Amino acid sequence: MSDNAAAPAVDGALAEVVQSYLNAAANEMKATLVRTAFNPVIYEVLDFGISIYDARLDLVAEAPGLTFFLGANDYSVRKVAEYLGRESLEPGDVVLSNYPYWNGAHTYDATLLAPVFEPGNDELFAVLCIRAHWMDLGAKDPGYVLDSTDMHQEGVVFPGTKVFRRGEVNEEILDLIRFNSRMPDLVIGDLNAQVSALRTGERRLRELLKKFGRGLLEGAIAAIHEHGEEVTQSALAALPKGSWTAEDIIDDDGISDEPVKMQATVTITDSTFEVDFAGSASATRGPVNMPFGSTIAMCKVVFKALTSPERPSNAGQMRALHVKAEPGTLFHAAYPAPTFTLWTGIVGLELIHKALAKAMPERMTASSGGDVPGFMMLGTHPDTGQMFAISNNDPVGWGAAHDHDGSNALIHLSESIVRNTPLEVLEAKTTMLMERMEMRCDSGGAGQFRGGLGIHRDIRFQTDGEFLTVMKKTKSAPWALAGGLESEPITAIMFPGTPREQRVSTHRTPVAAGDRVTLKTAGGGGYGPPASRSRDKVREDLAEGYVSAEAARDIYGLADDDG
Amino acid sequence: MSRDQEIRLAVDIGGTFVDAVELDMATGAARFEKASTTPQGPWEGVMNALARLRDDLSAASVFTHGTTLGLNAILERKGALTGIITNKGFRDIFLIGRGNVPDAHMYDFRYERPEPLVKRRRIAGVTCRLDYKGRELEPLAEDEVREAARMLVEEQGIETIAIAYLFSFRDPRHEQRTAEIVREMYPDVKVSVSSDITREQREYERTSTTVLDAYIRPIFERYIDRLETELRERAFAGRFNIMRSGGGAMTAGAAKLSPTQTVLSGPAGGVVGGAFIAEVLKRPDLVTFDVGGTSLDVCVIEQTVPQITHEAELENHPLLVPCYDIRTIGAGGGSIASMDAGLLKVGPRSAGAEPGPICYGRGGTEPTVTDAAVLLGFVDPERFLGGRMPLDAAAAEKGIEANIGAALGLAAIEAAARIYDVMLARTVGAVRQLTVERGRDPGDFSLLGFGGAGPLIAPLVAREMGLRETIVPLLPSGFSAWGMLGADIVNDFAQTDLSVLSDVAPEALDERFRGMEDDARTSLQAQGIGEQDALTERQLELRYLGQEHGLTLPVGRPLDIDAITEAFGVAHESRYGHRMDSPVQILNVRVRGIGRTRRPTVSEAAPAEAAQAAAPRAQRDAYCFARRALTSFAAYDRGHLPAGSRIAGPALVDEGTSVTVIHSDQALEVNAFGHLVITRSGEGARHER
Repeated sequence: MSDNAAAPAVDGALAEVVQSYLNAAANEMKATLVRTAFNPVIYEVLDFGISIYDARLDLVAEAPGLTFFLGANDYSVRKVAEYLGRESLEPGDVVLSNYPYWNGAHTYDATLLAPVFEPGNDELFAVLCIRAHWMDLGAKDPGYVLDSTDMHQEGVVFPGTKVFRRGEVNEEILDLIRFNSRMPDLVIGDLNAQVSALRTGERRLRELLKKFGRGLLEGAIAAIHEHGEEVTQSALAALPKGSWTAEDIIDDDGISDEPVKMQATVTITDSTFEVDFAGSASATRGPVNMPFGSTIAMCKVVFKALTSPERPSNAGQMRALHVKAEPGTLFHAAYPAPTFTLWTGIVGLELIHKALAKAMPERMTASSGGDVPGFMMLGTHPDTGQMFAISNNDPVGWGAAHDHDGSNALIHLSESIVRNTPLEVLEAKTTMLMERMEMRCDSGGAGQFRGGLGIHRDIRFQTDGEFLTVMKKTKSAPWALAGGLESEPITAIMFPGTPREQRVSTHRTPVAAGDRVTLKTAGGGGYGPPASRSRDKVREDLAEGYVSAEAARDIYGLADDDG
Repeated sequence: MSRDQEIRLAVDIGGTFVDAVELDMATGAARFEKASTTPQGPWEGVMNALARLRDDLSAASVFTHGTTLGLNAILERKGALTGIITNKGFRDIFLIGRGNVPDAHMYDFRYERPEPLVKRRRIAGVTCRLDYKGRELEPLAEDEVREAARMLVEEQGIETIAIAYLFSFRDPRHEQRTAEIVREMYPDVKVSVSSDITREQREYERTSTTVLDAYIRPIFERYIDRLETELRERAFAGRFNIMRSGGGAMTAGAAKLSPTQTVLSGPAGGVVGGAFIAEVLKRPDLVTFDVGGTSLDVCVIEQTVPQITHEAELENHPLLVPCYDIRTIGAGGGSIASMDAGLLKVGPRSAGAEPGPICYGRGGTEPTVTDAAVLLGFVDPERFLGGRMPLDAAAAEKGIEANIGAALGLAAIEAAARIYDVMLARTVGAVRQLTVERGRDPGDFSLLGFGGAGPLIAPLVAREMGLRETIVPLLPSGFSAWGMLGADIVNDFAQTDLSVLSDVAPEALDERFRGMEDDARTSLQAQGIGEQDALTERQLELRYLGQEHGLTLPVGRPLDIDAITEAFGVAHESRYGHRMDSPVQILNVRVRGIGRTRRPTVSEAAPAEAAQAAAPRAQRDAYCFARRALTSFAAYDRGHLPAGSRIAGPALVDEGTSVTVIHSDQALEVNAFGHLVITRSGEGARHER
């Protein structure tokens, strides 16, 4: 079918039309993946990232998904092309990669990519990429691995392996996956879903080639990249210029109890934005090391939020970003460093914010709780006799800004679109009984603008089992800004009020029926001196129960005749 | 009154206009009128539109109304001062929600939660607790209930109270007793009880639904009372129905008791009408494409059944009430075109109804899709709304020239065409995704274009997507109102179950269904439905154990567990591409009670008329997207196009409030019911070369 709807030359309208079609192609890939995936984490929590690249491997479109996944795809596609050699990519190929140091994630976040060619033309036109969380690839422990000491304890690894070659599936590779997974059906099912989604994208791109012709498409893509660069440069121009350094710690590496130091220096010039992790700890023994692709992805999230938060993503927007970390250090894991627990990226994201807040406190916020406090219970359900392993991520208080209070009880900003697990679902699927789940009075860092409130959760176990806490920031308080006060860090207390009472961070604890645990998630840091908070707002907080009478008097200086 | 003399009325309130339709059930003749929307007193616009149809309403047997009143009250925060009574220790369920930031803010680290509908000081926790099976762990502390009620009413001055306890879907007694106590103490306070509204799992979603109900109830009641009075004054003595969001209608009296069922009923009429057309024309797979001044709404109909979602969202508040799965994919004619660092953007900003497009002359300064339509010659500025609202074409041209043309280096008309290109690319992508989500090829669907601008845009969308045809119904502007005329009286009942299907004794499940069917029949009876017209449908919402969301399937009588399991496997495979070995779990047991309403007559023309050839009223220059040039279009009056007419593009079909545009590679046929059916033509394809 010939179609002359294409405009005759590349202009701002054609570029926008092409961008719409490319984004639609990415969204159709997403719809296909969600529709065909086996693993509920993919089709219900949307734990994936889908990206489309041009022949130069520059990002042209993506579907909404986990920001960390999306950012890491860019790095992975280049590394795989480098490893295989771009000329070895052929029509119908599908390549699997999960080698952490190239793929930019832990071994269970597997990337599949497919090259796209115009029929009858061997010159690569585009590359499609889908990253999704796979349930099991044979790591040393089922579920989450908290204490691996090298990559080989973290599952079977594929560096860039053709699962399909010229459209033909390689059954031997599938067998290798099957025989190395505890949940082969789910994993193979998800692999097939990813392939279906890649095929959907391939069809759409070929239709676009037919509709517009390669020349116009490439012209439009160049215009999209230029636009991205221009938008970013003008946003960059409005940022202060200079260099700022921040430090923080994560609790431990999962093996020892020693805190691990992180440091980031952000340098902004007229045309570049650089993040350098020099000064951070060297590689740790436990699995908190970050693959470099994952570090870059984390920086992209911050940079995009500052410069083009509402625009569809493309490589042009990222041209000004430069990320540095020495290989063999915390933020640039080198073989065979373990990388399974990705929590470093969550704390690290706010580390960059902390450095930026020194440069422009009015554009940033104080710390938003510092972490995603997660927990999981494993046990046997008395109704079914079946094993269960159910997890939940709790909300924290977000940091205050120069013009507003931090929001109460939201999932941490590193994955803010994720939802908590309803209490009625948790209680039905596990044997936990929630005795309390409420906002924590006085948990928001005080200030002229108050940090948001964290939550308090009391759980009683009704059967024996194991309780996993996954939190890496219980030893240091969320930071404040401009004279505001810090908030209390995340606290997890096993067996409170008993002789066995114990504070934990990331930990696997056996529990018995009748045992209890108290989880208190952090509030956000405050902004500005508490004494300058408007008296009306202090009274409002008091009336709402966000602040106690004591805190109103002692911290905010609310006199009796004020209230 | 005999059924043959039946007159039915329906009114739909949009952002800009109120549409009213009158149908004579005997002849099938429909009349359509419009009035301006009156946001200050919405009933005025309704009565104005009705007055244009007829002064005396005594001949009308049914008046069906779709309203966005509840929705607007939430959007504008104009609802009642509401309090919540919940479990002690869980006071913040409503305020914490699911802890997530809306997707559109995924990169916004300064995101602020909006002010909650209910302040924390108006939320009270009282001692009582059930476990996940509904077993009582702690009895209801009635003295605490009394204290909570006293505090909320006497200290906080609330008007309504929402009552929602954990696991009340398992056993509503604590909630019911709480309501009883509150009502005894304060008979004037309105009480909304979660177990009366929804018996589904997930505490935040259930609480939110209950709060929304409490929040909009008083304003909704006042509105209905006012309309009832006004209708009585015009001698209306028939049944007054309110459209529901998820199919069918309910009597105004029932709606007052359950206003959340109506909050998304605005665009529902078009979907009901679409399902009817799908049946009559034997086009089981249809996409409704409803373009008004302020929104572009799309719904997929498969096998004549519109897609339903059991969880909607209002301003990020979940609502556990069945709703048509209508997706808003654009802002309609009001979408603003602007240059953004060299790229032409259309939307998401909208000029809305006020100030509206430049050509409305109401102070709009930014060009919109409607301005482009005027420039492209699709909309005749003199004949807009039947000439009642002349448009300023020169101002539209100037605006497009200055804002878009200059930046792109294009003449105004070419710039207007580019605005359409961009709008179309976005629309096509969104429509296609809806069908792909359901595992269907978009090419299988027909497009039903209605709303003021649907007939203009739908044929272009179908052309871009390669769809088989576009159908433009009669009275496209009033189609949503027309659809309401055939709405059944419907009630939905749901209870969360969570048992594993293979463990279920069919007798126990049957008993559960029967209990709910009794409720459904009682409710229909209360709405004046005779036994002969009442029927009930059984549905199960099922999932594989471990999944979060379910698929809803109709189930037959008697219950056959194996057949249900198999049917679920088939449905899962069709929707998700695979089956699983896991056990199947019942998420919700659902019953829909339906009070049958006689369908509107659609008159089929005698084949003899088909032979007549239609003559164009005039030639008009407009932009042809097949030729990408200004082209002379033959302009027809729809009223003068007999059934059977065949017309090759380029052609325009004008009717008072909208225009259907057929491009040069398309052809039009008027079917036996008078619908316009636009397909791609071979002849047109030759033109292109």
